[in-house]
Amino acid sequence: MRQPLPQRLLGISGKLLIAAILGFIILPAVVVTIAAFNSKAILTFPPSAYSFRWFERAVSYGDFKKGFQAGLTVTLWASTIALVVGAAFAFAINRYQFKFKRALEGLLLSPLIVPHFTIGLGLLMLAAQTGLPRGYPLIVFCHVVLVLPFVMRCAYISLQNLDTRLELAAASLGASPLKILLTVTLPLLVPGLVSGWLFAAILSFNEFTASLFVTTQATQTLPVAMYNYVREYADPTLAALSVIYIVVTAVLLSLANAYLGLGKVLNVEQGR
Amino acid sequence: MTRRPFLGWFVSPAGLVALGLAAALAAVFQYSLRAYIPGSLDVGGFTLGNFADLLKPIYGSAFLQTVALCFETAVITLLLGYPLAYALVRTRNKALKSVILIIAVTPLFLGEVVRTYSWMIVLGNNGFINSVLMGLGLIQKPVQFMFTSFGVVVALVHVTLPVMVIMLAAALSHIDRDYEKAAESLGAGPIRAFLTVTLPLSMPGIIAGVTTAFAWTFSAFATPQLIGGGRVNTISTLVYQLGFASFNFPFAATLSVAGLALTLVVLALLKRVMRPLEKLGEH
Amino acid sequence: MPAGSPVIEDAPRRAAVQLDGVTKKFGGSVALHEAWLKIPSGEFMTLLGPSGCGKTTLLNLVAGFLDTDGGEIFIDGTLVTETPAHKREIGIVFQNYALFPHMDVAKNIGYGLRMRGVPKAEIARRVEQALALVKLTGYADRRPRQLSGGQQQRVALARALVIRPKVLLLDEPFSALDKNLRGSMQVELKEIQRELGVTTIFVTHDQGEALSMSDRIAVMSAGRIRQIATPDEIYRRPADRFVASFVGDVNVLKARLGSRQSSEAVATVGGIPVIVPAGPLNDVASGAAIDLFVRPEHIQLAPAGEAGTLRGTVSTHIFQGGHVDVYVEAPALSRDRILVRLPGVDAITRWPVGGQVGLRFGTTDLTAFPVEGDPA
Repeated sequence: MRQPLPQRLLGISGKLLIAAILGFIILPAVVVTIAAFNSKAILTFPPSAYSFRWFERAVSYGDFKKGFQAGLTVTLWASTIALVVGAAFAFAINRYQFKFKRALEGLLLSPLIVPHFTIGLGLLMLAAQTGLPRGYPLIVFCHVVLVLPFVMRCAYISLQNLDTRLELAAASLGASPLKILLTVTLPLLVPGLVSGWLFAAILSFNEFTASLFVTTQATQTLPVAMYNYVREYADPTLAALSVIYIVVTAVLLSLANAYLGLGKVLNVEQGR
Repeated sequence: MTRRPFLGWFVSPAGLVALGLAAALAAVFQYSLRAYIPGSLDVGGFTLGNFADLLKPIYGSAFLQTVALCFETAVITLLLGYPLAYALVRTRNKALKSVILIIAVTPLFLGEVVRTYSWMIVLGNNGFINSVLMGLGLIQKPVQFMFTSFGVVVALVHVTLPVMVIMLAAALSHIDRDYEKAAESLGAGPIRAFLTVTLPLSMPGIIAGVTTAFAWTFSAFATPQLIGGGRVNTISTLVYQLGFASFNFPFAATLSVAGLALTLVVLALLKRVMRPLEKLGEH
Repeated sequence: MPAGSPVIEDAPRRAAVQLDGVTKKFGGSVALHEAWLKIPSGEFMTLLGPSGCGKTTLLNLVAGFLDTDGGEIFIDGTLVTETPAHKREIGIVFQNYALFPHMDVAKNIGYGLRMRGVPKAEIARRVEQALALVKLTGYADRRPRQLSGGQQQRVALARALVIRPKVLLLDEPFSALDKNLRGSMQVELKEIQRELGVTTIFVTHDQGEALSMSDRIAVMSAGRIRQIATPDEIYRRPADRFVASFVGDVNVLKARLGSRQSSEAVATVGGIPVIVPAGPLNDVASGAAIDLFVRPEHIQLAPAGEAGTLRGTVSTHIFQGGHVDVYVEAPALSRDRILVRLPGVDAITRWPVGGQVGLRFGTTDLTAFPVEGDPA
């Protein structure tokens, strides 16, 4: 069916608008990629010569290597703890009424609204007053607090999409509550929980503002190390590192999309 | 069912985390009421003096600047995010859907430092945009983007766009396409159908998106710090400077408390202003 | 038979399920009000009623998915009121079948046996038997989503039966099937039930399903059991207005109570006397207005003015395949049009629209109740 001219113009301008917005989103990634291959220490566009030297420096620079290790340690602990705590709590929220339910939920979701610097500052002060060391446990706890809302959301969406009659059916067939949890509920929640863990891990690995407050020179995570680098040097090492970041993240998300259905996990798709 | 197996096991870990978070927030409140002892990391006795200091012009202007930044960012993000979310939900082309989704969502997971650094290269005096414009002969000397609130807003919009798109798309995906078809069958053009049906129905998503964009911008630190370069003062940059440059933790805490109060007030106002709009979506 | 009292005192077999005054509240509202019910072993008992009548609540209470707020439940003579669902030995088929999507057909059917620690070899044997019973041999390694609605239902049935439950619960199992399949599944389910002799509680809002499948029906409304009886009795001797109008089509005609004997009363409709059961009219004074309930197949049409008939005007025919529904206007008898069900197509030509006809009522199977709003 041929549409009238005004509607076709609307369609074309709509497509151009979408392309422009997508362009705006991609622009920094494209520019940083070009910059990363610039062989000179001072950035110019277009680069006069290309090389891989900044990639080599990015992966061999001591602070980045230490930051990567520290960040990975924090991330693995924080996202795993957040997954267990958040999934269990989402289950309780979804199924039960209990005392202080709303208050507890509100407090745990508050990091979506409370600025990260406030939470970082608060934990720093708490550590100072109670004499707790500013070591890994503090950073891990900080990250658990920050990523917990996202894990809870993923787990909660999965639980809502779970047909509770499956659990009733299992009960009628003789499965105890623990057996139901292990043989029916958990297996059906796995996709949601995996994506929740993945989101938590990516967010934790990239968390910067609160980490700036709770890390020390010895425990600084990669984003903190990158921030300190950009304040001291202007060469494209960070551009190279950014490219690695972008590629790894995009690959992880594409895999998540292919295997888990990102649209469903983010609840932006029709049909459940 | 009134039986609640595992309730204690499932709630107590979350309760512990909540306790820690509450303690941290309480620590901020407590510090905000303490006297600052210059040159020492210890704090003095209880005082309201820190809150009196908030009235100094430099902090007033920082608050205003922060709120202005947040508003500009939230509005621009909404204007850019809506068409993208709409295209994401409505396109029937699966590959295109995936492409839009990946492009729109990836920046969310890149972290503030990587994104801010990328924008520094784009916006700098020797950066991409100025080089292109000069190369084309459109300008003679670089346009100053860095260290301006314009540059900060551009980068912040980029930071908040993914979450806005996710929230709008979630709302739009629950609106049946048939509503629009029904409106069009009743003689509304596509634009009228959109304005009278889809837009009002997506109000809850718009409110959630704007609220989150506002809160995130308020929380942003690396972007105003690096792109603003000290010339764009926000609550977050001041808190950091007070804490780590002058070790005035009590006043840093006071600013945080005031900032938190301001966020809550603005979000409450936002809800109030938008509630009549949300009602539109309930019909 | 008064509603809400114990029934079938002389049950020949032991009660497989017994409810003694079971009550359930949700918040302030009573979802189930003192239900008394005794289901003999092997019986096919249907809970029939509109949505929100409490039938699903009753089912969930028997299954142990809900806790009672009063009364006791016995299964096989054992008190189970406090027993959790997984220890009640019941089988249940849900409306949407609730097959485990992450298990294949054999794993689904064998689930209950695995929970009971039955040895692997025996599980395999009994799953195979169950598959044969529901005519799905060869489907063992399919996933539920690869099956049609009817096949999914068979798997759900096999899964519920393989554990040899003390009672089988069916929660609107046919409502997701299309009409043709529904009929054949009903026959098949009834055959399997009879063959295994398993006590069955079947929940439905479809009175046709209830009448065709049940040994007995409990008609429910607003949280109460209104009548428990065989399908035939429910249809011919409804206990109250609700049962009369919910089960089958019925015409409500204006009538007057005449004389009353012990169990029968004489009512007059348009001056013509008819016999009705006296039970429901105990509190009505002679000469008072009553409502006469007449089934559409208990009215015949005759030429207008014939002796013993009442006058009406034909307003519409609806051809129903096997029979014709004729709607007759008779304002003196009823506010609504009167439905008359006649066999054979010739009724359409014989009683043309707009024509005057005479209505003749059968002498049996009529019931009457006090006028709406009067205490029942």
